[in-house]
Parts: sequence; C-alpha cells; structure tokens
Amino acid sequence: MRDFAERLIVYETRENKSSETKTQAAFLVGEKLRPQLAALMGNVGFRALISRALALSNAEIPWLRAVHVNTDGSFQGLDELGAQVGPDEIFEGRVVLLAQLLGLLVTFIGELLTLRLVRDVWPKLSLNEVDLGTRDKK
Amino acid sequence: MKKSNNAAKRKLPKKVVSQPAKVTIRKLPTGVRGLDDIMGGGIPEFSFNIIAGSPGCGKTTLSHQIVFANATVKKPALYFTVLGEPAMKMLRYQQQFSFFDESKLGKAIRFINLSDVAMQQDLNAVIDEIIKQVTTISPGIVVVDSFRTVVRTKIGGASELEMQSFIQRLAQFLTSWEATTFLVGEYVQEEIRDNPLFTIADGLIWLSQLAERNSVVRKLQIMKQRGQNSVPGLHTIRISDGGLQAFSRTLGLVGKKMKPARNRRLSIGISELDKMMGGGIFEGDSLLVAGPSGTGKSALATQFIAEGLRHGEPGVMAIFEERQKGYTSRADSFGLNLKTPQKKGKLEILYLRPLDLSVDETMQELLDAVERIGAKRLVIDSLVGFEMALAPGFRTDFRESLYRMIGGLTGAGVTVLSTVEVEDTFTALPFSQYTISFLTDDIIRMRYVEIDGQLRKVMVVIKMRGGNHSKDIREYVITDKGVVVIHPRSTDYNGLTTGIPTRTGPRQAQEEERAPEPKAKK
Repeated sequence: MRDFAERLIVYETRENKSSETKTQAAFLVGEKLRPQLAALMGNVGFRALISRALALSNAEIPWLRAVHVNTDGSFQGLDELGAQVGPDEIFEGRVVLLAQLLGLLVTFIGELLTLRLVRDVWPKLSLNEVDLGTRDKK
Repeated sequence: MKKSNNAAKRKLPKKVVSQPAKVTIRKLPTGVRGLDDIMGGGIPEFSFNIIAGSPGCGKTTLSHQIVFANATVKKPALYFTVLGEPAMKMLRYQQQFSFFDESKLGKAIRFINLSDVAMQQDLNAVIDEIIKQVTTISPGIVVVDSFRTVVRTKIGGASELEMQSFIQRLAQFLTSWEATTFLVGEYVQEEIRDNPLFTIADGLIWLSQLAERNSVVRKLQIMKQRGQNSVPGLHTIRISDGGLQAFSRTLGLVGKKMKPARNRRLSIGISELDKMMGGGIFEGDSLLVAGPSGTGKSALATQFIAEGLRHGEPGVMAIFEERQKGYTSRADSFGLNLKTPQKKGKLEILYLRPLDLSVDETMQELLDAVERIGAKRLVIDSLVGFEMALAPGFRTDFRESLYRMIGGLTGAGVTVLSTVEVEDTFTALPFSQYTISFLTDDIIRMRYVEIDGQLRKVMVVIKMRGGNHSKDIREYVITDKGVVVIHPRSTDYNGLTTGIPTRTGPRQAQEEERAPEPKAKK
C-alpha cells in the first residue's frame, strides 16, 4: 500500500508543477482525495475514516500523535510540526497516513472500488499494474 | 330534383380528424427478475416512487438493482445517501451481488452524501443541495436513501405544511427534470393514510418480512401505481447472490401461448393403459395418478416420461421424495435410460427439498426448467412431497398456486402427470386427501386388493375429461419392464374397489407363483 501511496505522490509531483516539493505533493494528494471521499460518505464519515488512519499511523510515526483531525477532515497541527520535524519526516508521515487511508478503503470497499475512486481523482494515472489486495496495508 | 338527389347521395370527402396521440409512458426495467411482470411492464418513466418497508426487507438492494439496470453515462443515476446506511457500508455489501457493476460507479452512478446538510441545516438546504446536484448532472434516476431520515430529522422543526411543501417541491422538481425518483424509507402501514408523501407519490412499492413458525418469507406489494396496471396482491421475493428476485402470484403465465387443439393423444408408455384411456392421454392434459405407497406411481411416471423421450418430447421430472440416483436406477432396471437424455439436455430431474422455499419459488423453478428444455411432459412426484417441502406458511397457498401453475402449463400445451399418495381405507376409494381433482383432467387410481390370499394391485381410469375411457378394473404387476397391465377385467369378483372383494365366480386352480415379483433396485 505504501508503494501505491508513493506512486500517487510522485504522480502528483510530476503533474502539478506548483508543488515544488514532494511534501507539498503529498499534501495535495490528501486534499484531492478528501472532497471525493466526503461526497461519498459525508464529512462525518470521512472524518471517522481519516481519524482511524491517523490512529493506525501513530504506531509507526510517533510524532503524528500531536496531529488532530478537524470536523471537515483536514489535519490540525501537521504544519506546526514542521518546525520540530524535518521535511523528510513530514513527507514520511504523509506517506504512511495516505497508505493507511487507502488500506482502510481497500478493507471496506475492496481493491476494485478503491482504484475506481482514485481513478476518478486522477483519470490519467495508469493503474494497470497496481495490486492493492496482496500487499501489506501500510 | 334528381340532380339534387344525386348531390345528396354524393359522398362528401370524409374530414380526417386526427386524434391527438396519447402520451406513451416508457417503462424502465427494474433489474429484478419477475418484478417487471408484476409492475405491468416496468417502472413508469419520470414517476415519483416510494420504496417502503421495515428493516431488512431489501429496500436498498431493490433500489440498487433499479439503479444498476438503468444508469448510463448519458443518463446517470444519483444516489443520495442520508442518515441511513453509510455509503461505505452500502458499497461494501452491495458489491457482493452479481448485478453490482463497478464500472458504472463514478460516471453512470454517483453516490452523494447528504448527511451533513440534513443534520446541520433545514429542509430547504436539503432540497437546494438535491436541486444543485440534479441540475448539474441531469440524472435519469434519483434515489434518496433513506428519505425517512431526512423527514424524521427535520420534522421536529418543520410544520406539516412545510413538510408537504417540501415533498411537493421535490416531486415537481425531479419530475420536471425528467428523473424517475425513488424515495427509500422505513414506514409502517398505518402511516399511509396521514403521510402526505403517500398521496403525492405515483408509485408505492411495499416490502415486508413475515415470520411463520420457523420460516421467514419476504413479500412485495405494489400498493399504488399510477398510469398502468400491476398484478395485485402479495408476491414472494427472495434475496440471493443475484439480488432480489420476485415471484409473481400469476407466475408470469398471464399472456402465455394458449393451448393447442386438444386432439392428439400421447402414449403413456403402457399400451394396455393407453387402451383403457381411450387411446392415450390428451396432449396438454393434467393427469393425476393416485394410490398408496408401493403401487407403482413413480414407475408409471417414469414410463410416461421415457415414452415421451422416445418420441422426441423433452421432459421434466420434479421429485420430492426420492433422490435423483434412485430414480435413474429404477428406470435402468426397467430398461429405460434416463441418463443419456439428461446429458443431452432433453430431460431434467429436479430434486426439490428446499424446506423453506415458497410455493411460487418452487413453481418458478419448474417453469424455468420446462422453458429451458422446451419440455412437453412434466412429472410432479409427488404432490404430498411437494407440499411437505414447502415452508409451513406456504402450505395454505399450495392448492391455489398449484392450480395456477398446472393451468398455465397445460394451457401452454405441456402434459402434466402428478402423483399423489392416498391411503387404502378398504371401505372407500378416495382419489386424494386434497381437493385437487378439480385441477386434473384425468384420474387413474391404483390400489391393493386381497385376492386368493394375495395382495395384488389393480388400477382403474376414474375420469378422462373430454373422452371416453374403459370402466374396467385391471390387475397389473411391476416387472422388469415397469408397470404391466395383465389379464382382462375379472368378472369373478365383486367389490374390488373396497380392496376386499368377494368371489362370485368359480374358484380357479391356483398356479404356484414365481416369487418374488421383480422390483426396482434401490
């Protein structure tokens, strides 16, 4: 799942010229997925899902414990951590969070529908060789 | 004068008055097998419908089937979820059904969650959001699931007039935008009278779940449908891997091809019995073979089917008391090969012991098999086993449904042989414990009689509708050829039908019988 999360970020970095750093691109990936998922499950539903993804990520990235989820599903405290945590670590945190979110989606609605949701956000992204079901859910 | 007469006689050119054409209401498929028939062809396009019922009846599954059957990229479906089943769970569960086509999601089917609007704002905000989405997407189908929760959330703050106005606005808007709408909700029947929603709606599909002893059955009723006739009454539905399936009370037999000219006689496979019946059974007749256990009813039924197969007439055997293997083995022992026609698709043997199936479902299985192979002959062995295989709650409907099915099948030219087990009372000759002889054209009664210290078997043709038949009571045996009628009628006995006849003729010299009588291998 991590590979797929990274792949999305790399794609977003390449596609979106304004995202100068990969950390910014990772942020954009999350922001693009948020309205798509909120339309499907409502803000309340999305907040519940992203909170779970954050809780699962905490075990791997301890500094994420300082981050909270707003009512609209955005993160609070992630940017502030930039002063204490290096950009590479922030990037790592975002990758893990995204991987957990995608992992939860695969758990609930399956690989096929998760990829369909992703394709709706990034229609030109090639998903031919993606296999989300058999990989670890990081 | 003459001239004027001619003028009067001259026909004036007829003024062609063209009648304005009536609007044609297109019918959308429901995607639910059997439901289009019940609804009179499908869902009227642009109608405003309610799918109502208690939890677990299949409301969401039904609405999904409708959506998947109709949504296209050009005319997409909008599925608004409110405070009912969360969309994630809905997708998680609904994708298990075979009708779920993930390629339609996104472009042809869009799920939009209205929970936040419904919880945080008023009814106007809800309708504004629906209008915004519908105006943008221009869908062919709109579903609000659950509409009940929209209303329940807001009813506290809204007056009845506001509620009515909300529903009216919604109905008018969605119809004007050429959308066929389904509001899904958990309602109870007592609400129908007072809730304005039911007055405004064009269609009302009511789903219910009834428990009877240990079995539960789901039912569907079209309580209201503007613009076209539906089949009235409660229809059984079942939810399986394919989603909902509906079983019309008419079994979809209305409008089927009518009975062909009833003049061809079919051999039953026992030449002497054919003669007793006046030359065989009329094609398209329903024949009841009644007799106690062990009198050879199943053997006779097997011969009837085998004879049909010999003449190129495909057959279906619905068996309830014996497994398929036992049936084919017995046929083998009579020199009748059932396995080859089975392999060639000319014969289907259905072993039906479902125990909780409804009578309509079971009959649908038979009808499907008949249609699948183009069967000309059908055996139901036996009616007692058939009834026992049904859930207790359906047994009361058994005779009515059987009547419909046999009527429909024979109407389409299929010749039906049903067996029924009856007890030998030795004081009477009942045809069956059911009052079902009304649905049979012909009746053959088999029974045991005690003659000369032996328990022998006799048969008699009781009834042949529309044809003369022998009145003889004939003795028969079951040999390695199956049921074989032996000896002409006996004039040496009185009271054969009682089972304990009295001798009137001279006692014949008795030959030692070669024991035992050949029987079918089990």
